[in-house]
Amino acid sequence: MLYLTVSLVAGILFGFFWKDKRHLDLSKVTSVIIVVLIFSMGFTIGSNNDLLASMHKIGINAVVIVSLSIFFSVVFVKAVRKMVKLE
Amino acid sequence: MIKFILTALIFGTVAGYLNNNFGNLIANGWVSGYLFDFSLILLLFFMGFAFGLDREAVVKLRRAGLRILIIPFSIALGSILGGLIGGLILRIDVFASMAASAGYGWYTLAGPLVGQLFGVEFGALGFAVNFLRELLTIVTISLTTKIDKYVPIAFGGATSMDTTLPVIVRYCGSESLITAFSSGFTLSLIAPFTITAIATLA
Repeated sequence: MLYLTVSLVAGILFGFFWKDKRHLDLSKVTSVIIVVLIFSMGFTIGSNNDLLASMHKIGINAVVIVSLSIFFSVVFVKAVRKMVKLE
Repeated sequence: MIKFILTALIFGTVAGYLNNNFGNLIANGWVSGYLFDFSLILLLFFMGFAFGLDREAVVKLRRAGLRILIIPFSIALGSILGGLIGGLILRIDVFASMAASAGYGWYTLAGPLVGQLFGVEFGALGFAVNFLRELLTIVTISLTTKIDKYVPIAFGGATSMDTTLPVIVRYCGSESLITAFSSGFTLSLIAPFTITAIATLA
């Protein structure tokens, strides 16, 4: 977690002090890295036999619980956002 | 972009499965360790870079200030409430289903931890619930951003500091970077504590 924060902060500082702000388009670079990242994420999932077995067994229960969890997360975030007037 | 993301996810999963079950040509740790970490660090750097370049995003964040921290706590509460109601509907141990939800998408933590505290069958639940959360965040991203830019962050839970962060930022823009990262970071910090706290209540 530390190295993630460090690289993020380093990037922000870099961008903040970068002189020529017009000519940079980073979206191509990030697209390629995203694909690599998601591939290795999938690889981790696919190579985890315990995880695949768990989906087989209790998939339906998990779908019910995760749907409710996400639903209430969204509801709470929306409500709180109005209360504290976040943009 | 979503086409590439889903293709990469499917290919990755199939490759990981084949590699693990037939031969182990590539060491698992190499892809899920080095390649994953390396691309993530690089990505965070570039996303930070894009954020730093974007004056408007910096101004917006300054205006929001510490108020953005209220987001992860609402996500935590909502997740646990969802776990409680889900447990009641399914008639399983509600504490176990709440603990599983309190992984906030971090399945490599919730699987083993819930398993240790509630037994193997609930460990599987902890795995599945959180894995699905991560998967759903990515798969539904193009729809959820249309509802509200905070919705994908609520979907992502703890994963919005790493695996789902690039996808969220790609769809919600640079200004969502810090909100998403800090929300995921906070949820990752509190996940182990909330899971064990729920287990002590049981």
